[in-house]
Amino acid sequence: MVHYKLIYFNLRGRGELARLVLHHQEVAFEDFRFEREEWPKYKAGTPFGQVPVLEVDGKPLAQSNAIARYLARQHGLAGQNEWEQSQADMYVDCIYDLISGTRPIIYETDKEKQKEILQKFLKETVNPHLEKLEQQLIKNGTGFLVGKSITWADLAYYSFFSPMTERFGDSVIDNSPHLKKLVEHVANIPQIKKYVETRPKTTL
Amino acid sequence: MLIETFYRQIGSEIVTNKSFKFSMPVYKLHYFNNPRRGRAELSRLIFSQAGVQFEDVRFSHSEWPNIKPTTPFSQVPILEVDGQVLAQSNAIARYLARKYGLAGKDEWEQAQTDMYIENIHDLLNAAAVPFMEKDPAKQKELYQKFMTDTIASHVVAVEKQLKKNNTGYLVGKQLTAADLAYYAFFSDFIEVKFGGAFLKDAPLLKSLIDRVKALPNIKKWTEFRDSKYPEEN
Repeated sequence: MVHYKLIYFNLRGRGELARLVLHHQEVAFEDFRFEREEWPKYKAGTPFGQVPVLEVDGKPLAQSNAIARYLARQHGLAGQNEWEQSQADMYVDCIYDLISGTRPIIYETDKEKQKEILQKFLKETVNPHLEKLEQQLIKNGTGFLVGKSITWADLAYYSFFSPMTERFGDSVIDNSPHLKKLVEHVANIPQIKKYVETRPKTTL
Repeated sequence: MLIETFYRQIGSEIVTNKSFKFSMPVYKLHYFNNPRRGRAELSRLIFSQAGVQFEDVRFSHSEWPNIKPTTPFSQVPILEVDGQVLAQSNAIARYLARKYGLAGKDEWEQAQTDMYIENIHDLLNAAAVPFMEKDPAKQKELYQKFMTDTIASHVVAVEKQLKKNNTGYLVGKQLTAADLAYYAFFSDFIEVKFGGAFLKDAPLLKSLIDRVKALPNIKKWTEFRDSKYPEEN
């Protein structure tokens, strides 16, 4: 049995997708979390001064999507063929860009300015993406983003939009009924539900 | 010719994609007409290194508003594969790399290749900030910060990984799309814009860049590209 150690802050952030993949496929792993203040202790030991890092029998792999993709591929959550796999990659890359777009919002300390940046982000980036996404979901016609069954792409959208709606209200995906249905579906998957109920409660 | 020699030859031709037109999909890569920088170049390098034909569709910024609504997520590059569309520069590059033997020899090496490609994606995103800055003085300041804060530390880290891997390549014992990605970013963008000083303490990275630059198919591509699409602005 391979030993997985996922190293990340005690946050959801960019580590959560890998955790969701592992929990969905019921694969055991060491969910190593540290607090922000401890980061200097671990930084130098990472390949590129960043986390998450996945250690696979001690060998390190960096980059959140490379990690989640490796786990998805190893454990049957990446798509049924090469084309589906690349479609799933495409969707996860879209989420990566959206996550990056939230950085200025999260780090803005002025509450008024934060609200302004958030509104701009929703209007100029999130909403246009969601319009296109709805079209893609309708076109695929299965309720899932790729093919006929769940992939890590669906978990990625859940991972991003579930905290978004928690934090900023349901209105974020009100105009996206297919995405809303998908997010609800993922939230109700027993393994996911159980993990979410028992995981540490974190702001991000 | 002996049957086994015949099949071995076909096999090797499939692997090097020299002449198997009937099994070759029709590829169209769509992007802005930035000759060097930009997010389509890695895929073009993969096509070129693999010897795979593709239609290199380039359009101007004035044409973009008409093209935009036809894309899955209002972004380019997009890759058409026999008419089906794939978006996201890294998803495209990764798909091609895996298909044409430039993604490492097993799942673990593929993951390492992905990791390096994603590093470059982050660096491109970081470079986009000064790139988009309109005020020339502020832009200069942001680029300087980018070089000293972001690039310098990454070069140190990747030099360490190259030393650890000890094969001259980023992943395993052979060329992967990771090496092409680092070449595209560090040679075509960073070196062109800032000169080679940042490589002074990174002999392994410099050696890798030079090695990729000199690969026959890469050389052929860059010479063609630079003459057909001379550098703008």
